[in-house]
Amino acid sequence: MPQTHENHRELVMRIAKTDFKLRYHGSVLGYVWVVLKPLLMFTILNFVFSSIFNFRNSGTPYYPLELLTALLLFQFFSEATMTGLTSLVSKAQLVTKIYVPRWTIVLGSTMNTLFSYGINLIVLAFFFVLYHKAPTLSGVVMFLVYSALLYILAVAFSFLAAPFYVRFRDIATIWEVALSVIMYASPIIYPLSIIPMKYWQLILLNPVAFIVNYGKQGLINGNFTTVGHFVAMAAGIGLSCIIAYLVFRKYEKTVAEMI
Amino acid sequence: MLYRMSNPEQKSMKDAHIAPAPARTPAISVKSLSKQFVIPHEKTNSLKGAFVNIFRKNTYERFYALKDVSFEVKKGEFFGILGRNGSGKSTLLKILAGVYTPSSGAVKIGGLVSPFLELGIGFNPELSGRDNIYLNATVLGLCEKEIDAKFDSIVAFSELARFIDQKIKNYSSGMQVRLAFSVAIHANREILLMDEVLAVGDSNFQSKCLREFARYKEMGKTVILVTHDIATVQRYCDRAMLLRAGEVAMIGTAEEVGNEYIYQNMSDEEKRIVKEQEAAKVKASRDAVNARKDADNLKGQALEDERTRQAVEQKRQEEERKNKVAEITGVEFLDRDGKVKNVFETGEVINIVVTNKFYKEVKDPIFGVIIKSLNGVQLFVTNTEFKKMVTGTMPVGGTEVVFEIKNRLATGTYSITPAIADVTAKIFFDWKDNLKQLNIINRDYNSFGTSDFEHKIIIKK
Repeated sequence: MPQTHENHRELVMRIAKTDFKLRYHGSVLGYVWVVLKPLLMFTILNFVFSSIFNFRNSGTPYYPLELLTALLLFQFFSEATMTGLTSLVSKAQLVTKIYVPRWTIVLGSTMNTLFSYGINLIVLAFFFVLYHKAPTLSGVVMFLVYSALLYILAVAFSFLAAPFYVRFRDIATIWEVALSVIMYASPIIYPLSIIPMKYWQLILLNPVAFIVNYGKQGLINGNFTTVGHFVAMAAGIGLSCIIAYLVFRKYEKTVAEMI
Repeated sequence: MLYRMSNPEQKSMKDAHIAPAPARTPAISVKSLSKQFVIPHEKTNSLKGAFVNIFRKNTYERFYALKDVSFEVKKGEFFGILGRNGSGKSTLLKILAGVYTPSSGAVKIGGLVSPFLELGIGFNPELSGRDNIYLNATVLGLCEKEIDAKFDSIVAFSELARFIDQKIKNYSSGMQVRLAFSVAIHANREILLMDEVLAVGDSNFQSKCLREFARYKEMGKTVILVTHDIATVQRYCDRAMLLRAGEVAMIGTAEEVGNEYIYQNMSDEEKRIVKEQEAAKVKASRDAVNARKDADNLKGQALEDERTRQAVEQKRQEEERKNKVAEITGVEFLDRDGKVKNVFETGEVINIVVTNKFYKEVKDPIFGVIIKSLNGVQLFVTNTEFKKMVTGTMPVGGTEVVFEIKNRLATGTYSITPAIADVTAKIFFDWKDNLKQLNIINRDYNSFGTSDFEHKIIIKK
């Protein structure tokens, strides 16, 4: 490839920063939306599900905290995959008018959602204080590890789908529907405990469900999965990211002609 | 596909652009490069379309944007790529920049490339000029420290200091180009790819850019300029390449290639004119046949109507002729041997043949022609009166007037306006503005302006 770049890290960061700058451009509340949106979602879901289903009495005393944690994780995943998926098209200029390594576009775009996730974690910490709940150190560490895994998973999806989205714009709509399926198939608004135990394994095969469940469980209740399960899941996600990247490199070549 | 650096050490060298360029290595070497685009007849932009197409036979066109293109550009050369729209020059530049991958052939690039393909690469209209400089420079491969150091110089070159904190969307297109160009040259790469940059921006900035290119050249850097402006290529480029329908038509000095380009364009024009004339002739005879057929097919009332219509039409034409004294029916250009042509060389004899039709007998009419440049300036006006000619009595019917001119027009396109007036030159029987275009080319030497005087330049020491 003709060399135009030596410094990929700077490029990725610049793309991410620019996206972040432009994200709430033209809105009155601006960056407040970064935290306001998940909080509004949380307030509604919390009101509906705590009062109607009364989870408080079904062995989940910290239901609001669990809900918020899970919701932040899921929204992070949903946003990261959506921006990653559409990144090549939304930054068509960088694809068709100049050569920059295309993976930097995908990575930079998803990274922007990492920033807002980081800000939301501060809000989450505030809620822990509000509910007088102190997580254990291992709980926090594992939570961060799960967040990282979730990000890798989102990047893997983006690498896999972004070159095809250029040709088939339907993928965005399909993925939106798929995301809501994933949301209800994961223990986000409900605790895993309300599901018969025999189905747990099936549900937790879904990496998003696995991460959401054990991420919040570790943080709030100090429950962890087995080392074996964790390693298998992490290896699976890592491997899928590598495969996705290889697929991406194969199909990115014709992307400029297709947009 | 062979796509690799000819000088692999450069990749690892952080300051590769400062390192002295190894002598004699070509900056760009392209060998039998082809690029094929597959264009589906109905673009599948949805999954449904893709599914449907599984069952239907997929129809698509294969289209070669570039066919077996080979050339080399040496380090420190100012290389022009000329060609008409659709000749593949932008595709070639995009391949050199790495945006497209070639279908076959080898492209070797010996150094870091700074492409400037279109207006404001990576510019975001919602961001300020300042932010866009950082964004664009990063896209071109500069790191933050380098941008900080060069920022003032970039702004100064673009002459936009006053507007630098305004949003780009409030910039004019000329201002955007200035900013983008300024960033591109500060990227300080070894090879600069430029596509039609000089089309936008005022002439001051254009000459500033060209001076900057010259400075680049002095520094041993390579500039590749894609354009269809022959004058720029001939003035600034060392060598040039002419592309035609995706193939290399010619590689040579900028001068030769520029002239060839003009000549090819003209012969295209010639072909087009001839084709049009033939088509018009065919259409006229077909119309006549059809009209007769239509009349034959008509019956009863329709036939009556048609006959009346024809009679009325005939009467109208006669009436018109009664009022009309004379009419110019056409102009043709003949060379010395009486061959009809539309492109003439400087110095050649052009016979401008104006055919007229007189409906009445006229005594001593005046015949004239005006040669105009395309922007409407009269370059030459002559008529029979100026030449102190008495034309005599014109009988009813066709006449031909030949203006024999030794051509001293310079390379370019001109228009011919013929006219007929009465003996007093007060009543014009007919005047056909810009009736026909005439193309001139000088293949021997270059000159600017509309006239091309026979001349010598003598130097006395």
